[in-house]
Amino acid sequence: MKHNEFRQMIHLSLYGELSEDEQKKLKHHLESCEECKLELEQQKYFLSMVSENRKYKVNDSLLNEARVQLRVALGSEMIKNRPTSTFGERIRSLLSSPPRLAFSALVILLAGFVLGGLFFSRQEFILQNDNQTFNKAALSQVDTRITNLQFVDSDQSDGKIEFIFDAVKRVQLKGKVSDPEIQRILTYAMLNEQNPGSRLNSINVMETCGNITSDKEIKDAVITVVMTDENPGVRMEAIKLISKFNYDESLKQAYLYVLLNDSSSALRIASINALIQAAKSGYQLKQNDIELVMKQAKLDDNNYIRLKSKTLLEEYN
Amino acid sequence: MELKDKELINKAKQGDHDAFEQLVYRYDRSVLSVAMRFVNDPDEAKDIYQEVFIRVFKGLKKFEFRSEFSTWIFRITTNVCLTHKSRSKEQMKFSFNSELLNEDDDFMSKEFIDDRISPEEKASMKNMGEFIDEAVENLSERQKITFILKHYEGYKIREIAEILNCKEGTVKKYLFDAIKNLKNRLKFLVAYQT
Repeated sequence: MKHNEFRQMIHLSLYGELSEDEQKKLKHHLESCEECKLELEQQKYFLSMVSENRKYKVNDSLLNEARVQLRVALGSEMIKNRPTSTFGERIRSLLSSPPRLAFSALVILLAGFVLGGLFFSRQEFILQNDNQTFNKAALSQVDTRITNLQFVDSDQSDGKIEFIFDAVKRVQLKGKVSDPEIQRILTYAMLNEQNPGSRLNSINVMETCGNITSDKEIKDAVITVVMTDENPGVRMEAIKLISKFNYDESLKQAYLYVLLNDSSSALRIASINALIQAAKSGYQLKQNDIELVMKQAKLDDNNYIRLKSKTLLEEYN
Repeated sequence: MELKDKELINKAKQGDHDAFEQLVYRYDRSVLSVAMRFVNDPDEAKDIYQEVFIRVFKGLKKFEFRSEFSTWIFRITTNVCLTHKSRSKEQMKFSFNSELLNEDDDFMSKEFIDDRISPEEKASMKNMGEFIDEAVENLSERQKITFILKHYEGYKIREIAEILNCKEGTVKKYLFDAIKNLKNRLKFLVAYQT
């Protein structure tokens, strides 16, 4: 075996990667080779120096922040990936079911809530009669709008062209706000509707509904709005709405996230108040949560929040 | 009783969010640790962490237990680290052409090869940890990820080969080159310490 190979074996030996046989060979070589013996000592020292001086370790606070952000991202991802056809089918079933006019409050939903993809999602079809994958009759309806047309292939040399477009149909819907299907549409609207007024209205309507507190999907969606909506008014209404749900770990994470990250002091105040309320009801904060609140107690530019953060910490002392 | 990965994966595949969360919590500290060591920046590390678990979430349905779940996660982590780094490198306009550096280069930054500065002076400029971070940071991407997985995370060479999807011999080469380059970059520090 060449000398250089023994040097490589020294590295592997220090990482416990040698077989018993190889280890014996190396040991035998080291007994007679001063150079390799020195290399072993130097290598040991070097690797321990590199280990001991790596300053960062993953602390709980960083991990907690990463988890909160992941939760938000996953929430958005789940909503994005929810199959639009399912929503479409649900709406169609609502339209075809017997009228459910009721004695309770009725809500009229305009299709502003229902984005194009919800009912007539983006369709691709080829303008050729024998290979038609889309019902062109739907396009002739007066209330179907065609937008966002883009050519995939405008070359007519083969007698065909190809393009994609959005076919959007306005839908008007009546139903009980307590109907889970209606709630699903409202949930979709509060997350995806471009107009903040519509998002706000969706949340306000949900607030009047008593049966949403056991629905985990709605809860996750409201938490996502609290943490990610760009409009502080919408976030504020959403934070009021999540207080209707049972306090648990996910709510605590949302409140902590808002307390640490939201630019609106009103929202941070709402969060710290909710956390104090939960503490008074006996809900425990973990050590890394306490550290985050301590950080806020020192850094927040709002006197009231700093004071309340200290109050919250006192609840645990 | 704690469920095995396989049981949690199957539940998560059926849309059980709690099962998915449990899976995340089993591995996320290690993923964040690798990311943190790779980019040496908490915000970037959190970005990588998020990207990894979004990819895991999206890909879980197609996971068919052909490898260990942990291997799959760290393969994703490695890929995200490598692509993340190349993105940020594109954004940063280096004053020198980093593309000229290849895996075998014993490149040393100007600071390290400036013999006019004594080891004592160099060592007093920053603390030792910063020099080591910088030296690891300057390794080639593959040397760096191999060194992190082996030295800091304690993976076996066989496992790293599976994660990086290459031969064990290749992993050994990355590791030896990484150590050689680190030793070169940090030799003034070793001299100062001894």
